[in-house]
Amino acid sequence: MSKSRTSETVKVVVRCRPMNEKEKAANFRRVVSVDVKLGQVVVRNPRGATQELPKVFTFDSVYDWDSKQLELYDESFRPLVDSVLMGFNGTIFAYGQTGTGKTYTMEGVRNDPEKQGVIPNSFEHIFTHISRSQNQQYLVRASYLEIYQEEIRDLLFKDQSRRLELKERPDTGVYVKDLSSFVTKSVTEIEHVMSVGNQNRSVGATNMNEHSSRSHAIFVITVECSELGPDGQNHIRVGKLNLVDLAGSERQSKTGAQGERLKEATKINLSLSALGNVISALVDGRSAHVPYRDSKLTRLLQDSLGGNARTVMVANIGPASYNVEETLTTLRYSNRAKNIRNKPRINEDPKDALLREFQEEIARLKEQLARRSGTVQKRSRRKAGMGQSLGDGGAGLEEEELEEEEEQEEEEQVVEEGSAGGDSQYWRQQQEQLERERRAIMEDRSLVAEEKQRLLGEKERRMEELQREQEAGRCWRPKSG
Amino acid sequence: MATFNSSEWRSVCDKFRRAQNLSEIESRKDPENDPFRSKYNARELLKEIYSDLKNFDTGENDDNESDQPISEQLPDRAEGECSGNRYAGDSPAGLRSAKLGVIEYYLGVNHVETEELSAGEEHLMNCIKLLDKCNISQENVSVFIQARNQLGILWASRDEIEKAQGFLESAESMYVWYMKEVGQPPMDLTDLFLAEEEALSQQERTKRFEMAYTHTLYYLAQVYKNLEQYEKAGRYCHSTLQRQLQFNQFVPLEWAINAATLSQYYITKSRYMEGRHCLAAATVIAGLAGEVPSEAAAQENEAECEKREQLRQKRAEIARCWIKYCLNLLQDAKKLLEDNIGELDTDRQAELKRARQQEEEEKERGRKSAVLFGSSDTFDSICSLEEKVSCAFPLDFDEARAVFLSGQVYVTQAKEYFEMDGHVTDHIEILQDHSALFKALSFFEEDLERRCKMHKRRVDMLEPLCRDLNAQYYLLICRQLQFELAETYYEMMDLKLAIADKQDELDAHTVKKFNHLCTASMKYYQMFLDSIRSPEGKFPEKLEDEVLRPALVAKFRMARLHSRLISPSPATQLENLSNSLCCYNFLVQYCEENPEARPAVETELELSEEMVSLLPLKINRLKAKLASSN
Repeated sequence: MSKSRTSETVKVVVRCRPMNEKEKAANFRRVVSVDVKLGQVVVRNPRGATQELPKVFTFDSVYDWDSKQLELYDESFRPLVDSVLMGFNGTIFAYGQTGTGKTYTMEGVRNDPEKQGVIPNSFEHIFTHISRSQNQQYLVRASYLEIYQEEIRDLLFKDQSRRLELKERPDTGVYVKDLSSFVTKSVTEIEHVMSVGNQNRSVGATNMNEHSSRSHAIFVITVECSELGPDGQNHIRVGKLNLVDLAGSERQSKTGAQGERLKEATKINLSLSALGNVISALVDGRSAHVPYRDSKLTRLLQDSLGGNARTVMVANIGPASYNVEETLTTLRYSNRAKNIRNKPRINEDPKDALLREFQEEIARLKEQLARRSGTVQKRSRRKAGMGQSLGDGGAGLEEEELEEEEEQEEEEQVVEEGSAGGDSQYWRQQQEQLERERRAIMEDRSLVAEEKQRLLGEKERRMEELQREQEAGRCWRPKSG
Repeated sequence: MATFNSSEWRSVCDKFRRAQNLSEIESRKDPENDPFRSKYNARELLKEIYSDLKNFDTGENDDNESDQPISEQLPDRAEGECSGNRYAGDSPAGLRSAKLGVIEYYLGVNHVETEELSAGEEHLMNCIKLLDKCNISQENVSVFIQARNQLGILWASRDEIEKAQGFLESAESMYVWYMKEVGQPPMDLTDLFLAEEEALSQQERTKRFEMAYTHTLYYLAQVYKNLEQYEKAGRYCHSTLQRQLQFNQFVPLEWAINAATLSQYYITKSRYMEGRHCLAAATVIAGLAGEVPSEAAAQENEAECEKREQLRQKRAEIARCWIKYCLNLLQDAKKLLEDNIGELDTDRQAELKRARQQEEEEKERGRKSAVLFGSSDTFDSICSLEEKVSCAFPLDFDEARAVFLSGQVYVTQAKEYFEMDGHVTDHIEILQDHSALFKALSFFEEDLERRCKMHKRRVDMLEPLCRDLNAQYYLLICRQLQFELAETYYEMMDLKLAIADKQDELDAHTVKKFNHLCTASMKYYQMFLDSIRSPEGKFPEKLEDEVLRPALVAKFRMARLHSRLISPSPATQLENLSNSLCCYNFLVQYCEENPEARPAVETELELSEEMVSLLPLKINRLKAKLASSN
């Protein structure tokens, strides 16, 4: 079993083909080993120094030369096509240099059910699903287009010189304007559509090899499903499957002669027409606008590369020593492939004021908590000294109120204590404290007007009481003093 | 010493011409199975020329070709130009070296082009050795620079970027030295192999020489970029653009887009004076590309249609770069002026105003002379365009408003091309910028009511988008919009409260309004959170990196919003508080189960943990109250 992380919406799988007869005859060494269990591909560089460590790449799934077509399909592609049938978008990218088995993986051997590739398997999957379904009506449409040097060509249209434009609509996303599509009712029909497109692809190209290695071909299958819902209404789900044959990883040089090892990143671009690329590379795109440089392919697939859409990228490599460079290039590219996914940038506004507000709230709550535990202590202390204030008729009544209005408890207590002490500074402190509390209530934003009013009224009442008590205190003073 | 007679020389020149033709023109037609046929043929001719030169024109020092290593320390050499031992560039020996050098140069380029880098390097180094025996002069300075350009490219392709840098920088200082000390238009490489009657004009010589140097700067820009010296890279890109304009070697629209893109580099470095200059130049130069053909003309003629599309698109792109200029200027000013809770710090404001008067003017005048795009006929229009918007940080509302209004003009321009119908993503990005412009401006507005209205404008702008966009195709944009709307409603709620505070009484209407804003904010946070659910409607147990912080922050804000809802009914209050607690709990629990998430939401987590411990107290009190009142 190959390891697979199902939570990922972009899966990268790598398949290595067996050594072919020619390679065996020429005694080429096999430099690639595949660990299916760990999902790893290990490449030893035959020309590197002996102590050079082999390079290890890890992917969602890896398949070696013994892997079966159906096994590959069931593990890595079936779930994706299932989600398309459920109304989501799915994209399959096939990638790899010519001669690495890309065609075998994608198309396989015609008329041999065991050796047919991903494309015929997915066709069969879709139409088998449809034939078994009940109470659902399906409409399957196919389109086929090619992107070559940033121009889009409809591979199913009579006039192959026509170039198409990319457009967007709020309700249906990115689309190719005027792209033809054909309704297909069976595997045979959809295969026919594909082969017509393939013919057009080779006819339109002046130089097939170079052309196919530099053009992307996209076969789009749209699956519409209409179902009568429990509400008696027809519900329509639309899923889209993009089968993308990515331009090859062939070296851009004309001969393929082994030159020095090149690293793209440091190469100097000779032509001033690429000045824009150099400048763009300096701009940190976050807060700036970089005039459009996204490729047509990226734009066309933008809604298939994020969110609920599933993507499987299948890279094909050869095992022999002589194309180790291409193998490494392909693996590095595949390693980066997860990044093709659009990243949502959510620019959040730093809310410093909010955080301060929180600190205040927490302080308030903590204070209440502290006061509460404080109250418990005080209360027990007061209970112990109850005898002293028994003479005060109001005490018992106030005690009950305290259960409810803990916030006011403190000053009540002090009032009692104070009435025992009877000192003029005490009264001023009390008034100030009440005033502070009154203001606190006024400023408390979380209170409703009515509640505020009620609390304010309460404070007012207490202040009056305090006043009265103070006056009373004056009368008492001669007695107590 | 044998010398060429005129017919022999003619045959050499003829070979040279054929080699050039094979290499430049014939090679394009080579078949795929023999892709370098013409290049190889050209190489043979060059080799013949080389031995012709050797045989015929034996100089006295010929056998003296010592293989001394060459150090690439050009400035030293340039200074020591008069030290003897070297041939004068125009002496017979000097000319011979130059001719051999040119052939070595072409052989070097030929080998590089046919992927024989080591051989190419050898020829190029031979070229440099030959020239090293000569004083720099009109005859050889072009070869000198171009050979170093080629070696720069070669070493860069071998990933030896510092070596490349050495060769290119020595080409650069040689140009500077030559222009200062000699200044005459130098001969072109091909000049040495042209019959007199075919000699290039002075003008053409200048053009080719300057072009070679423009390339030197362009290659250096790339070298510095690869060395991650972005400041230098930016400067060299700027110089490249300057020279393209100066020597009239540019395509208007392409140049304009490049200048506009460079402005974006400057604005992210807060260098608004340079950014504005690039943008003004971009707008003016884009204007040189001609009038936009009318819609009617475009419908009749495909070429006109293409031209119309191109012009409209590129001009709209430049407008978008202007929007970012205005936006960043406002946002940076805001950062300068805000206190620790994001409000205007008036002390800071006064201080900055004082400082501005004193320094800025002089400083910028000095900086400016270095970056100007000089083209006599466009210069005035560039300057007058610059005057339309400030490049200094706006320090008060009026200044901010002026920047905002400029930005808004460009928003309108950009939207004309990037319409919703056909350009959904671009159109929305522009609206998001427009919203951000309002938001930045609102910081400068002291009147809270008016500030609130600005946020309302943002809501009015974004809400319909959020409603009309199909989330299946625009999920990421939808999320951004949801989040921004949630934040905007939150902001408005805060403002309403501040306003109500001043009135010192909350009337029923205000409470209703306040609750509405809270609810709306919560609605959008919830929509955002729902967008993360799986197709089956399940919230993921583990959030993906790109939504981790936004999702947890959304929960945190919702917790806060629930507890802020105002209700006279204790039962409702209780419900709100429980909802709030539930959200805080989510955050705390998530971070317990996924400790790796903690750093992303450190502060929020800390606060949530406190709230989780404190809120139950409040809830219990409320419950008790509720129980006692029943």
